Amino acid sequence: MNSKFIFRSILAVAVVTAASCKPELKTATPSKGNADFSRYISVGNSLTSGFADNGLYLEGQQNSYPLMIATQMQTVGGGAFSTPFFNANQSDGTGYKKLSGFTATGDPVITDVPAQAVIGSATVPGFGTVPLFTKYTGDLNNYGVPGIRLNNITLTYYGNLNPYFERLLPNTSPANTIPYLSFVTAKPYTFFSMWLGNNDVLGYATGGASVPADFPTDKALFAQLYNLAAGTMVKGGTGGAGTAKGVVATIPDVLSTPYFTTVTLKALLTAVQASAPTVQAIFIQPGSGAPRPATADDYFLLPLKAANVIGKPNAAGIPYGLHPLNPVESKYVLDKAEAAVIVDYTNSYNATIKSVAAANGLALMDANALFKSYAAGRVVNGAAVSAAYITGNLFSLDGIHLTPLGYAIVANEFIKSINSQYGSSIPIVDVTKYRGVKFP
Amino acid sequence: MKKILLSFLLAVPILGYSQSYQVNLQGQKQTAMGGAGTGVALDEAAVFFNPGAVSFLKKNGVQAGGSAIFLKAAFKENGSNITEYTKDKTVVDPSAYAVFGNPNNRLRFGLGVYVPFGGAVHWDPNWTGKYTVTSLDLQAIYVQPTLSYKITDHIGIGAGLVYSRGKVDLKRAVPLTLNDGTSATAQLKGHSNDFGWNAGIYVETVSGVTIGVSHRSQVTAKVKDGDAIFRVPDALKDGFPTSFSANLPLPATSSIGLGFYPSSKTIIAVDANWVHWSTYKVLAFDYNNNSRIPNTSSPRNYHDGGAVRVGIQNMATDRLALRLGAAYAFTPVGKGYVTPEVPDANRILLSAGLGYKASERFSIDLSFLYENIKSRNETNFETNLSGAFKTVAYIPGLALSYKW
Repeated sequence: MNSKFIFRSILAVAVVTAASCKPELKTATPSKGNADFSRYISVGNSLTSGFADNGLYLEGQQNSYPLMIATQMQTVGGGAFSTPFFNANQSDGTGYKKLSGFTATGDPVITDVPAQAVIGSATVPGFGTVPLFTKYTGDLNNYGVPGIRLNNITLTYYGNLNPYFERLLPNTSPANTIPYLSFVTAKPYTFFSMWLGNNDVLGYATGGASVPADFPTDKALFAQLYNLAAGTMVKGGTGGAGTAKGVVATIPDVLSTPYFTTVTLKALLTAVQASAPTVQAIFIQPGSGAPRPATADDYFLLPLKAANVIGKPNAAGIPYGLHPLNPVESKYVLDKAEAAVIVDYTNSYNATIKSVAAANGLALMDANALFKSYAAGRVVNGAAVSAAYITGNLFSLDGIHLTPLGYAIVANEFIKSINSQYGSSIPIVDVTKYRGVKFP
Repeated sequence: MKKILLSFLLAVPILGYSQSYQVNLQGQKQTAMGGAGTGVALDEAAVFFNPGAVSFLKKNGVQAGGSAIFLKAAFKENGSNITEYTKDKTVVDPSAYAVFGNPNNRLRFGLGVYVPFGGAVHWDPNWTGKYTVTSLDLQAIYVQPTLSYKITDHIGIGAGLVYSRGKVDLKRAVPLTLNDGTSATAQLKGHSNDFGWNAGIYVETVSGVTIGVSHRSQVTAKVKDGDAIFRVPDALKDGFPTSFSANLPLPATSSIGLGFYPSSKTIIAVDANWVHWSTYKVLAFDYNNNSRIPNTSSPRNYHDGGAVRVGIQNMATDRLALRLGAAYAFTPVGKGYVTPEVPDANRILLSAGLGYKASERFSIDLSFLYENIKSRNETNFETNLSGAFKTVAYIPGLALSYKW
């Protein structure tokens, strides 16, 4: 081997290495597949609006899953996406909850951030007084309306009763007459997401099944309305091409949210027994029948903790929750029978949603399965994420709605469903860029 | 001499490469020859490569050098369209050797200061894998006094005691949100002081081929009462630890090398290394306060790693030596265990270099090493971080030596 050869080889090594200075990873070019994302709209309730910490406020809106999806869609031909943001000077919106510390025993201290966007109230004949929020006038892609049930979407007067909907409408309550479904389809669109139905079962559950008016929507009516909604949405809106693609989502199991899992019988008993070791039972007022000792199959609701009433004597001197004559009120308890109703209706609704999605060729995001998989905890890019209250990173301080990180996980699940149904390759969002519950 | 050694003891951290956090840049001549050097008595760096060959060095000498490591790692999360890169951080890997004693005697003395393990990987503090690691600085500097003895004119043995001074500084984000919306962070910093050994045998065969066998023992770097610095929300601060302990194995390496001498001007060195990585089962941290976080034990489950190396040196003139080498290293990291602090994979190494004898006593050696670590798409068992890693490194180096 001569020196010339070695010298040439040295040059060759130099050339090879200089030519590849940075490590390269193969990237597939993002593709829209057989869908068209040029105008995407999102239809849904509080989860779609970005509601969090028991309120709708600017930061939550900025971290809504539809906005995340729309931003990612822009790499595959998606257009601009407008969210009905609160003004920056009213960024606290409807007000929300924040964590301000912990008690000596480790319980969270949660305080209210006051509303900034409440500008008055209106009287709706036959209904009562509703608050009014600062109106939003501008382009609209995120149509999420907190509180809306599926059986509200065809009501002509609903825009007068729900202030979150009213703020998107041209008229002031009680002068609105356009139903939600007509409103969202008034302009053409090419792609939609629809996550409706949660509130048809949620309100009854969070009220401890104590308000008969909140009873879940009839199953047959739900199926009829869901077919109507999906059948209308796939037409692409008034003045459009007559067709649109989309994604729908199932309803999560509300009983696995922190609202129902944080206050447990065991925790209540342990707290009481610290000062009264002989106490063996917590008495509850079930939905029907006489007060009885609670079992592990009954759910205590999150507000019971903040109410701080356990053990407080009533006028007759009987301690709250510790005696059949002063049981924990029905509004704080979802007893075993009531919980079974929630599960039954949720399952029925989800069967409907899945079959309607299949019949209309829509992508399906199985939120029920998604949240089930996170209930006991999963590790996401090194971060522990679970349904634990405050520390779980998934649920916000109201115990039902999500943190920005939770919404990012939802956005990615939507993106995966869309990609798999339509052969697109919308890139996922980086969930670690989003926060969990803020600690003081 | 003392000053030179001292300056290297104070030297900056080292970049991890060539098999997880093992570093193989212990001599400029050998680096230019693909890292081969166990079976040849090339220079003072034999103190590291094979203490048995030290007694075969024809002259006494001192040398000091360093390699600057430019390493870039890339990561793309599966499903994402964004590739993230490690930050530019150039570090210098020093080494220094001295060989004393009468070259005509059978017994010779050596001293080596080198860095066989290290790492410096710095991701963006807000990158996708921030909850696994944001930066790791690791360095184990070995000081090795050595004896080498010629049993016969053709067989030498040698051994050295190794004192290891270790330093670790690990940072990551903690999945708790501070009031300003950013993530909490953790930093673990500590030192270790441990001992090990290095031994080898060197044989000149009748055929003219030389053979070397060496073994460098495992050193377990034990960090006691390191600083655990948690930047967490004030409301939670009380329950977090302030110190930690950890053990990190710096594994044993067994090597066999051959030297061929096709002409008086040419040396070909061939090495095979067996690195006993399988002792690295877990990366565990024990904290002094467990009320908020438990002690952690992250599975690593490395298997043994290895490398094959070949290098050639040719004296172009009496003063100028040209060198070339190549190597292939087999990663010890199994499927599902790749972590971003050491995004390891099988790798190809190409090297080149030259040596210039300025006078009978002074010479200078230059080397350039290119490492291409294969792309690897993995989902980590523990963190579920899922994506593709790819790393390349460019390592120029220089050493000065003085012989007498």
